[in-house]
Amino acid sequence: MTITGSKKLQQAAGGNTDVALAARGLGHAYHGRNVLSSIDFEVRRGEFVCIVGPSGVGKTTLLRCLAGLQASTSGTVMIAGEPVTEPVPGVALVFQDYSRSLMPWASVLHNVTLPLRANGTSRAAAREEGLRALTLVGLDDVAAGMYPWQLSGGMQQRVAIARALAYNPALLLMDEPFASVDAYTRADLEDLMLRLQRELSLTVVLVTHDIDESVYLSDRVIALNGSPASVADIVEIPLGAERDQVGTKSTAEFAALRGRVHALIRGSRGSADATEARE
Amino acid sequence: MTPSTARVARTIGLEIWLPIVLVVVWWFASANSTSVYFPPLSSILGSFAHDWLDPAALPKNLVPSLQLLALGYLLAVVTGIVLGLVLGLVAPLERATRPLLEVLRAIPGVALLPIFIVLFGIDLQMKVLLIAFGAFWPVLLNTIDGVRGIEPVLLDVSRVFRVGRMRRLVSIVLPGASPQIFAGARTALAIALIIMVVSETIGGNGGVGYFLLNAQRNFAISSMWGAILALGILGYLLNIVLRIIERSVLRWHRLQQARLESQP
Amino acid sequence: MTSNTLSTSTTGALPRPVPQRTGRLLRLATQAGVIVLALLLWWFASATLPEATMPSPVETLARMGQLALTGGFWDAVGQTLLTFAAGLLICTVVGVPVGLAIGWSRIATQSTRLVFDFLRTIPPIAILPLVLLIYGPTFEMVLVVVVLGAIWPILIQSVYAARQGESLLAEMSASFRVPRRWFVTHVFFPGSLPFVMTGLRVGTTICLLLTITGELLSGAPGIGFQIQDAQLSLDTPRMYAYVLVSAVLGLLVNGGFWSAQRYLLRWHASNRKESAR
Repeated sequence: MTITGSKKLQQAAGGNTDVALAARGLGHAYHGRNVLSSIDFEVRRGEFVCIVGPSGVGKTTLLRCLAGLQASTSGTVMIAGEPVTEPVPGVALVFQDYSRSLMPWASVLHNVTLPLRANGTSRAAAREEGLRALTLVGLDDVAAGMYPWQLSGGMQQRVAIARALAYNPALLLMDEPFASVDAYTRADLEDLMLRLQRELSLTVVLVTHDIDESVYLSDRVIALNGSPASVADIVEIPLGAERDQVGTKSTAEFAALRGRVHALIRGSRGSADATEARE
Repeated sequence: MTPSTARVARTIGLEIWLPIVLVVVWWFASANSTSVYFPPLSSILGSFAHDWLDPAALPKNLVPSLQLLALGYLLAVVTGIVLGLVLGLVAPLERATRPLLEVLRAIPGVALLPIFIVLFGIDLQMKVLLIAFGAFWPVLLNTIDGVRGIEPVLLDVSRVFRVGRMRRLVSIVLPGASPQIFAGARTALAIALIIMVVSETIGGNGGVGYFLLNAQRNFAISSMWGAILALGILGYLLNIVLRIIERSVLRWHRLQQARLESQP
Repeated sequence: MTSNTLSTSTTGALPRPVPQRTGRLLRLATQAGVIVLALLLWWFASATLPEATMPSPVETLARMGQLALTGGFWDAVGQTLLTFAAGLLICTVVGVPVGLAIGWSRIATQSTRLVFDFLRTIPPIAILPLVLLIYGPTFEMVLVVVVLGAIWPILIQSVYAARQGESLLAEMSASFRVPRRWFVTHVFFPGSLPFVMTGLRVGTTICLLLTITGELLSGAPGIGFQIQDAQLSLDTPRMYAYVLVSAVLGLLVNGGFWSAQRYLLRWHASNRKESAR
């Protein structure tokens, strides 16, 4: 599965092939009010990074800047070593609101193949890629022929993920992808993302407000806090490649990391230890 | 200027530049017009001022129309809401009468004019009833839709808390259906205006329709243009009045919609 | 823009699905009963009212049958349908693309808002005397009135439809670098169709109303003229028969529109048979 975008991205990265995405001094203001200020971080290729912060902190704004949907007011976003001013090839996005980001008039397969067809892939090849992507997220040929609104919410979000996978992204951005589904479905989708990320060596940046989710999924967690929001700290999550919902989440290590991120978000950098002790 | 007043000024500027340009273009393009049917704007405005701004002309040209419209429209709105509430709340009744309503609604209002003349004569009564008949349907059908679209949970809540029938109607059903009712009332107003003009061409009781007919008979082209202008302004003003009422009655709905739209 | 757009159900609701077969039979029976009751009322009124003000339903229907055997009847119906169809076609072909193009740009939308709002509120009948002087009682004259009256809801609703392009689907398309042409044909147009259809539905009703009104007031050929002519020759059964015909036309046009809409918008929430499983 290669697509011009990801190839180009790999070549363009050149000397520093490790860095897929970098934010340098990123800031954003709405109507003169700062919502983001001097955000700095890097995401290496093949890494799963979560950006976590409380609701309304400007996470979605940050992600839109990363995706090139919105120009930041200061600083730069670099993808594959080049500054981002508009959406660039090889970057796929999964939105929180699956019901509005899927086209209700098109079949599931048609939804998945639209980005491919629109970017010049032949009908037959797009169909093949689309079906393969749907299989990866656990949807069969029958589901492929249905309308998205005939599926449950979790299934619809799988379609949105399949659409992103079919695009064969060098970088996958996800905006609160599991915030609109129930807790069980959410756990399923989290495990699906972990498996896909490992199997396909995806580079994933996922925005969430859920601390457990961020720790469970990530290799590193970028914690945002404050107003305007800035990076409180970046936490390494050394939980290994194999994780599961019950086992991993009941380890002392998980609890400690969770407490640390929680403290960071609440803005009490110094009292991280105290919070850990309480839990 | 603060940023917000600058934005308001920009919006107003954006909205009024084109109307101004169009009026100016019309003025100069028609200034030397010799076409019989397209007189200079200056002479149209002269007729307009003479026929519609002069207090002496108003009792004959405008007052009868307003009277007629008010009676017919209010009759339509009141009966439409009352019957709409009944049909909306009593589903079997609504189902049973639906085909009959569809047939009656499909009759173009103005086509009934000759029948109404035969039945009711050519007086005020006939005109009021004709307007009421035409404007009734959008109010009725929208009220039915509005009542049936009310969040069922709200009705359950009111039953759990043993809210009385009357109170439920006034406090829950009517407000819940009001956004739809107002949408119907807007359509009804446009229909009422059309039927008002048409019905006034019958009999000699003055009003905008009568004025138009006279101007046509006398080949008074500028007067006709002036009357078209007056009707446009009248319709616009009536819409604004309706919108002001709607804005105050439906404040909650407007704010809720704005909030829903602003949320990402 | 919200204040001058039409609610999606300005002119009635979709017929609701009926779950059981026995329920459907009972419903048909009561509906037929209501119609029979209305006909009886009509018959009673015609018997009570003075002569020549209201014919009985039987007389009216018989007259309709007689008329249907004449060529003049079908000429009138054909003429009315032709004017209606031509008017709707012009309104659609002009109103929808222009509306969508204006709605595409926020500046164009704001600039034209007041102008459209004003033109929309002029009762189209007001221009009829002037147009009648220019064209005389002809097909063209009625067509001008129909187009100038029915184009505004279609145009304004299309502007509104295009403004919906600011939605998440536009962002989705941008993030996947969907080219402009693909976006327009595969995302923008289908997405705006429900709103366009709302405008077309209102426009369709207004087109028929104005066609018959224009014929009735000006004496241009068609059903409207037949109604007027029957009144002037004091032939009340013929008058009632033609009014009934206009109602049937209204029903057919409405029915045709609903079928077209149900087909075109079969994916839309209002037409979904299957809810989330």
